[in-house]
Amino acid sequence: MNSRFGTNLLSILSLAVLWEVAGRAVQSTLIPPLSQIGAAWWKLLVSGKLLANLSTSLATLAIGFCLAVLIGVVVGLLMGRFRAVEHFLDLYVNALMSAPTTAFVPVLILWFGLGIESRIAVVFLFAVFVIIINTMTGVKQVDMVLVEMARSFGAREREVFFKIMLPAAMPAIMAGLRLGIGRAVKGMVTAEMLLTLTGIGAMIMQYGASFATDSLFAVILTVLLVALITMKAVQWLDRRLTGWKAEIAIE
Amino acid sequence: MRGIPNYESPVKEARSGLRDLEQPRQRGFMVEIQGVSKSFHKTVKEQTTEVKALADVSLSIRENEFVSIIGPSGCGKTTLLKMIDGLIPYDSGKILIDGKQVTAPGPDRAVVFQSFALLPWRNVLANVEFSLELRQLSKEDRTKTARDYLRRVGLADFENHYPHELSGGMQQRAGLARALAVNPSILLMDEPFGAVDAQTRQLLQEELLALWQRERKTVIFITHSMDEAVYLSDRVVVMTPRPGRVAEILDVPLPRPRVSEEVRRDAKFVDLTNYIWESLKKAMEIHN
Repeated sequence: MNSRFGTNLLSILSLAVLWEVAGRAVQSTLIPPLSQIGAAWWKLLVSGKLLANLSTSLATLAIGFCLAVLIGVVVGLLMGRFRAVEHFLDLYVNALMSAPTTAFVPVLILWFGLGIESRIAVVFLFAVFVIIINTMTGVKQVDMVLVEMARSFGAREREVFFKIMLPAAMPAIMAGLRLGIGRAVKGMVTAEMLLTLTGIGAMIMQYGASFATDSLFAVILTVLLVALITMKAVQWLDRRLTGWKAEIAIE
Repeated sequence: MRGIPNYESPVKEARSGLRDLEQPRQRGFMVEIQGVSKSFHKTVKEQTTEVKALADVSLSIRENEFVSIIGPSGCGKTTLLKMIDGLIPYDSGKILIDGKQVTAPGPDRAVVFQSFALLPWRNVLANVEFSLELRQLSKEDRTKTARDYLRRVGLADFENHYPHELSGGMQQRAGLARALAVNPSILLMDEPFGAVDAQTRQLLQEELLALWQRERKTVIFITHSMDEAVYLSDRVVVMTPRPGRVAEILDVPLPRPRVSEEVRRDAKFVDLTNYIWESLKKAMEIHN
């Protein structure tokens, strides 16, 4: 863990130094030195502009992702549990999983207008299918011996589901959430750039169009930071819920 | 004819000796299997074929009797055990327990699984409590009972360990504690020591016998080990390859309590083990 942290730090520092040196050598607005980006980031932070836009974006992300988790897990559980539900839905889930979700943006605008609802819908659509598929796979891969064991001790269907299938599928569900949160962040920025210019997406478009590259990179780095932090949060949750699995995998 | 011990062997005369030493209670049979058959449907490349797993199996087991069922792989012995537990239905015939037909798993039976079937996300204590959770016991009683049985199988100091932290032998002790904790009158054991190493296996056999001597349960024990069957059982049921039928039922005329080292040197033990081997070989030749 410690050596990993050290290597991570080394990786960040070397990239930072390289960037700074390259930026100063090239002397072009295309690659502003890192120190200049840092200064721009600080200015955006102090002015309150960054936080205001960030909170708009994060609200979209939070609502969209939570809906995706709620519906994704429930649909995935049903598809994994009941073959009829799986056969009824897997065509659409698989198609939508691989389809470019951005293609649906115009439809979403027609349905939900240009407000936050549309952006939430985009985040939701980006994240939900991978959660459904992972949850379904998790339920289908439950060791049937454990189910049989529970039945032999008199477990009813409900108990089999909550005491065996759900906990056994939890590692796969959490893997779906990890993939889902990454896609949700992509959805968030995409929606803000393609639908109505709001939040972080609007800042990216605005600074990009006006060649304010230092501010542009400052915002992009913020997006990366958001992606990293949300991912870490899901990983933390994963360890809390399925620590047993990680320990088995190490052995 | 089949299902009735009518063999010529050196142990034949000793059978009556067993009855004297180990007088089973004369109150009829606890488990009665009457002409049970079972087929599975196997679909390969859209061609469904019927595979006959068990054919006309009859067997009666007394209360507190220890009966082993031995047979080649795929003879349907595990299927038979699951049918006695009520996990899978049978096609024809009848399985009665205390005169009542088996339709589903019941509180009078508990299974010990070959692969232990412990929940990897629960520690040992919580795994044993699992069987009690399904029986509407209070949390306090569950923990108390689970601890009690963990102590009896020698796992008292391991209640906080997770299954993957334990050896196979210890995992199966937990599996045994989970089954015993619901206080079943019939213990169904499906090759319970098949997945542990030879030394542990012998140790677990001795401990199981000691437990059985104290707790007095009816045990139906599936195995493919001949000396395990002879060492543990009152009777050994030899089955034929698929479709499984009862080839022979043999009484084990060895006095109890049985001390492993002594019993295994006993001429009767050696004879009977050899006889079962001959019987199995014969059954397999007929079918091959």
